[in-house]
Amino acid sequence: MTTKKDCIAMLLAGGQGSRLGALTRHIAKPAVSFGGKYRIIDFSLSNCTNSHIDTVGVLTQYRPYQLNSYIGTGSAWDLDKGRGGVSILPPYSTETGGEWYKGTADAIYQNLDYIDMYDPEYVLILSGDHLYRMDYRKMLKTHIENNADLTVSVMDVSLEEASRFGILTVDNDDRIVKFTEKPKEPDSTLASMGIYIFSKKILKEALIADSADPDSEHDFGKNIIPNLLADGHRLFVYRFTGFWKDVGTIPSYHETSMDLLDPEPQFDLLSDESPIMSRENIQPPHYIGPDGSVEECFVGNGSRVFGTARHSVLSINSYIGEGALVQDSVLMPGARVEKGARVIRAIMGENSVVSEGAVLGSEDPNSKIAVVGDSIVVEKGGAE
Amino acid sequence: MDRVIGLIAANFATEEMGELTDERTIASLPYGGRYRLIDFPLSNMVNSGISTVGIITPYKYRSIIDHIGAGKAWGLDRKNGGLFVLPGSVFGISSSGSRFLLRDVRRNLVYLMRSPAPYVLVTSSNVVCNMDYSELLKQHLQSGADITMLYNMADSDDPNRTGIKADGDRVTGVTHGVQDGDMAFLDCFIISRSLLLKIVEWYSAIDYLDLFEVLEDDFDKMDIRAYPYEGYAKSIFTVQEYFKRSMDLLDTKVYDELFERAPVMTKVQDSVPTKYMKGASVKNSLIPAGCVIEGTVEDSILFRGVTVGKGAVVKNSIIMQSCVLGDGACIENAIIDRSNVIRAGTVIKGSTEEAFIKEKNLI
Repeated sequence: MTTKKDCIAMLLAGGQGSRLGALTRHIAKPAVSFGGKYRIIDFSLSNCTNSHIDTVGVLTQYRPYQLNSYIGTGSAWDLDKGRGGVSILPPYSTETGGEWYKGTADAIYQNLDYIDMYDPEYVLILSGDHLYRMDYRKMLKTHIENNADLTVSVMDVSLEEASRFGILTVDNDDRIVKFTEKPKEPDSTLASMGIYIFSKKILKEALIADSADPDSEHDFGKNIIPNLLADGHRLFVYRFTGFWKDVGTIPSYHETSMDLLDPEPQFDLLSDESPIMSRENIQPPHYIGPDGSVEECFVGNGSRVFGTARHSVLSINSYIGEGALVQDSVLMPGARVEKGARVIRAIMGENSVVSEGAVLGSEDPNSKIAVVGDSIVVEKGGAE
Repeated sequence: MDRVIGLIAANFATEEMGELTDERTIASLPYGGRYRLIDFPLSNMVNSGISTVGIITPYKYRSIIDHIGAGKAWGLDRKNGGLFVLPGSVFGISSSGSRFLLRDVRRNLVYLMRSPAPYVLVTSSNVVCNMDYSELLKQHLQSGADITMLYNMADSDDPNRTGIKADGDRVTGVTHGVQDGDMAFLDCFIISRSLLLKIVEWYSAIDYLDLFEVLEDDFDKMDIRAYPYEGYAKSIFTVQEYFKRSMDLLDTKVYDELFERAPVMTKVQDSVPTKYMKGASVKNSLIPAGCVIEGTVEDSILFRGVTVGKGAVVKNSIIMQSCVLGDGACIENAIIDRSNVIRAGTVIKGSTEEAFIKEKNLI
C-alpha cells in the first residue's frame, strides 16, 4: 500500500500565546474562541481543506486537552481520512529518552518519522494561531516554478511595522538574499508570515544539521532560514495580498474582532470565497427577547438577548439579561451578562459571568480593554 | 437502551400541508429555524441510548436522504448498528391517515430479523418533543405489556390524531380523530421484536393497513397499555398546526423544554454567525446562524441564510432557508418557503387566521 502524498502540512499549535493573558490560562492560543463560533485553529485547518491538503500533523504541547478534543477525528474539516487526515503530534519518548519541543524547528525534527510515513515531495509548515484565508496551492505552484528549496510566504507591510517582523530582502526574481529578524532599520517591507513550503529533502537535511548544533535555538526564523541562506540554497518568497493577522495580544484580538463588524470588513467571515469550517455542538437558533435590541453585532446560535447589544461579538450560548448593555465587546461562548449589568470595551472569557448590576470596562477609548478569564465571575462592585 | 432498536416511519404524507409538502414529506419539513421534523424522533432515540435506527423513507426521498446522509450528525455512522435506510412503499390513500403501514415493515423484515435486540421503538416523524424514551421502556418492562403506546391529553379537537380508548392504562381500542381532553396517541410505541415479526406474518394478507387497524379485533386478546407523556409534545398534521407549533418556540418555556433537556441534532452547515447591521431591529424572534439582518423582524422565525434588507419588515412570519428579502419588502402573517427572492418593496400579507404561503423556489 502506498501512502505517498504530494504535499503534507505540519501545523504548529504548541505555543501558549502568553501575551493573551487570561484568555490562554487554561487553553492553548489556537484553541481560543474567535468570531462568534470559531476557534483560531479553524482558519488554518480550513485553509488546508480548501487547498486540497488532506494530511495535517498538528503539533501540540501547551495545555493540549481542549485542542485535542476539539480537533477530534478532524471530521469537521473533512480531515477524517482513511489515509492521511489529521494527526495530533504531542512530544513523545523513544528508547533514548524523550524531550519537550525545544522550538519550532525541533518540533518538526522530532516528527520526521511522521513526515517520512507519507514521503511527500513538499512539506507546508503553518502556525495554528493566524487569521487568514489562503490557497496554499498557489504558493506551492510558485515554489515548484522557482525550483525552490524553501518558499516563505510574505506580506508587504508599512515601513513602521516592518521592525516587528522577520524581514526578507529579495532580488529581482523574488529570490531571498537576506533575512533579518525584527530589524531596527529595515531595508525591505516584505514580512514573513511564518508560513513555509520546504522541499522535503532539504527540510530533512536542515533539521538534522540543526538538531546537532548545541548553540541553536531550533527556530525556523532564527536558525533554519539563515543557515539555508548561508549555504546558498534556493530560497524564494511568495507574495500574499489578502488579509492576514496574528492576533497575539489583547489589543489586536479586540481590534480584529471589532473590525469584523464593519459593513465591509477587511476580513469578511461572510465571504463565499472559501468557507471557514468549525466543529459545532449543535445549538438551537438564538432568541432575541421582546425588549432586546441588537445592532452591529455577530450573534451565535444558542444565545439569548433580552437587553441591548451594540457593536459586539456575541458568541454561541451567550446571554444578555434584561436592561443589560454590551458595547464594543467580545462575549466568548457561554458568557453571561446578567440583568442591568454593563460591559463596555471588554473581552469576556468562556462561561464567565458579569453579575446583576455589575460594570465591566469603560467607555474611555484610551482605557485598557477589560479582560475576564474563562469561568470567572465579576461581582457588583468588584469590577476592574 | 442497548436492548432497543428504533424504527421511524418517515413516509407519512398528507394533503393538508399545502405547498409546503409538494417537494418533501412532513418528516423533512423545516422547523424551528434550523431543524427538520425528523430531527426530533431521531435525536430522541440517540439521546435515549438507541444506537441502531431504521428510517422508512418516503416515495419522494431526496430531501430526507440529503438531510440525514450517513447519520453522521447523530453519531449514527457506525460500524455496529447505526443508521439503516429502509425503502418505504408508495403511500396509498388511507381514510384513516395511517402512520405505521404494515407493508413497510414487511418490506424491510431483514432489518428486524438480523437484529439481536429484543425490543423495537416505533415512532412517526411529525411529533415535536424532546423526550427520554427510556422512561417508556421502563414502563413497558415493568407492566410486561405486549405493546406500550405513548399518549398525552388532546388540547383541542383534532380529526387527524388517533384517540386511545382505555380502561385504566389498558388500551381497549383506538379512534380516528380526538376531541379536546381525550387520550391521544403520540404516534410512538414500544413492542417486542418477536411480536412485531409475528403480527407482520399473521396479517400479511392485509398489510396495506395500519398496524393499529389490523389489531382492531385483538385489543382484548393482547396486553396493550398506554403511557402518558407530560412534557411538551405536539403533532403537526396541517399548515395551521405547523404555523402555531413553530410560533410556540418564541415562548421561552417551550424553547427550554425542546432544546435544553438534551441536544436536538441536525445536519451541520458551517454557517457564519448572524450579522446584525446598523438599523436592525429584532424583537421576540428566533434567528439561526447564517443570516444578515438590516431591517425589522418581529414575532417571527427565520431559517439559515436569510437576508433581511434595509427597511424590510417581517412580522409574525416564517422565512425559510436562503430567502432574500429586498430593501423595504414587507412580510406579514406568511410562510415563505426556501430560496425565494422577494423584490424590494414587495408586500406579502396573509391573515392571522390563515398564513399566506409562498412556495419553494427550486434555485
